[in-house]
Amino acid sequence: MATELNLPLNKSNNARLINRIKKYKLFYVMFIPALLFYIAFEYMPLWGLKMAFYEWGLFGPKYFIGFKNFESLLTSKLFLTSFKNTIIISSYTLVFGMLSNIIFALLLNEIPNGLFKKFTQTVVYLPHFLSWVVVASIFAMLLSPDSGIINEIIKHYGGTPIYFMISNKWWRGLFVLINLWKGMGWGAIIYLAALAGVDPQLYEAAAIDGAGKLKQTWHITLPAIQGTVLTVLILNLAKVLNVFQPVFLMYNPQVYPVADVIDTYTYRLGFASGGDVDLATAVGLFKSVICMMLVLITNFLSKKIKGESIL
Amino acid sequence: MIDKLDFSKGNRGRLFFVIFNYALMALIIALMLIPLLKVLSDSLDNTAFYGISLIPKQPSLAAYERIISSASLYRPFMISVYVTIVGTFVAMFFTTTGAYVMSQKGLPGRGIFIWMILGAMLFQAGMIPAYMNIKRLGIMNTLWAVILPMALRNYNLILMRNFFMEIPDSVTEAAEIDGASPFQTFWRIVLPMSKPALATIGLFCIVEYWNDFFHYVIYINDSSLYNFQVKLREMVLQDDYGSSSVVVYGRSLQNATIITAMIPVLILYPFLQKYFVKGINLGAIKG
Repeated sequence: MATELNLPLNKSNNARLINRIKKYKLFYVMFIPALLFYIAFEYMPLWGLKMAFYEWGLFGPKYFIGFKNFESLLTSKLFLTSFKNTIIISSYTLVFGMLSNIIFALLLNEIPNGLFKKFTQTVVYLPHFLSWVVVASIFAMLLSPDSGIINEIIKHYGGTPIYFMISNKWWRGLFVLINLWKGMGWGAIIYLAALAGVDPQLYEAAAIDGAGKLKQTWHITLPAIQGTVLTVLILNLAKVLNVFQPVFLMYNPQVYPVADVIDTYTYRLGFASGGDVDLATAVGLFKSVICMMLVLITNFLSKKIKGESIL
Repeated sequence: MIDKLDFSKGNRGRLFFVIFNYALMALIIALMLIPLLKVLSDSLDNTAFYGISLIPKQPSLAAYERIISSASLYRPFMISVYVTIVGTFVAMFFTTTGAYVMSQKGLPGRGIFIWMILGAMLFQAGMIPAYMNIKRLGIMNTLWAVILPMALRNYNLILMRNFFMEIPDSVTEAAEIDGASPFQTFWRIVLPMSKPALATIGLFCIVEYWNDFFHYVIYINDSSLYNFQVKLREMVLQDDYGSSSVVVYGRSLQNATIITAMIPVLILYPFLQKYFVKGINLGAIKG
């Protein structure tokens, strides 16, 4: 990077660069597919963002309205609800997700290598590879009020069946639990890898010094995965607001007050009848800016804490 | 193991923990498996009232026979198969060529390419502009609208690049000295050397294409192009949550459809497990 931006460009440097470019010319040809992909599917859509600043008639002319769409968002009750829900649902899944991953990895690490450990891993990693449609469908069946196993158990003990997925009281908690079911094992792999890298001699030395298992965990194991925890946190923060699929598949009009997130609100505004495409674009842009800020802030923090950036 | 089961006084706490830990793991296994086993059992059960049993009361394959014999179900299945196969090849082409170029340390302008990818990771235009873009590209309501947007995943690209960077320079240099063009080196030497990497990324692509539902919902209106995931959603989720329930499907058929949607993933799972731990570790190094 530094060499080709070396200024001032003296002649020999320039000639050398041109020579190198010539040497690599076929590599540029090979990069054309990827380049076209990024232009067509990542950068061209940016042009559409201008809609957020226009009034968009279906047939009539569009005219520039500046930040008016954003102003109307701030007074829209539906938008504010979706914003609040996004924050709540995203932070629940982030916090409980990471906690369950770490605790599960720590506990599984205490199981000696062998058939039982292998079997546990095989079972717990599987749900990650199932699609959200499959996972949402499985739990729709299990939680169904007329024949789901959960309600069968409730009925068995004389209770009245609960329609879980349309209940404002149950929805968020179940949403988080279903996320844990899907992601607990997969999320633990990275910590297990970090734990496998800890030198066993450290534990032996600590044991000789009289440190119990709990002390060993606190002073050896946790510091060993600290860096991994931070990296995962940063990577997760980058995508924490992207909850469209699970929410879209599990929510329904009855639970909009607790379940509607920015992504699903955007979808309905943009695609459902009676929608408002330019307002939907504005909502999406708002979310993209927040996502970008989250990444930049965590990247900055990573630089401060770890001394290296992830970008 | 034996020395951990020491009943001497100082070890009682440890013993308690070991028992607790095994019990907890067993509980987790049960919580993971019961939902899957219940759906499997109910899919094979002909009664309308399953109760809490995990064993079919009236074992029957009727639901699966209906899936095979009903065009409205096997057509989406074949769309899924088609998109998964074509998509995986397309994605492997984009990913390997892009990653190979990115792995060239001396390539002038490599930094620009890296920033181009980081920029795309950092800022997304969002759902509506992406939709407008697909419309403008003229691939709306075609299967290209679900194949192409997933053809190059940032994560896969970085993973593949990290794999390629592990190949010693001496190998490719030797080929170049023998007069091989970059294409020949790539095709005849680099790719054959990267079989584990290709398997890893290939499996990821297969699972991503098979499991995709998002792109169909946004970019496809023609229901004859819907894949199996979209069909499953229509059959179970839209029916159960009552948002646009048109047809009431039998419970067994709903359960059998869930199982059918999982089958390719279950078949590939042993291979996935073999490769993904390596893959996720490599990905973690370079984020």
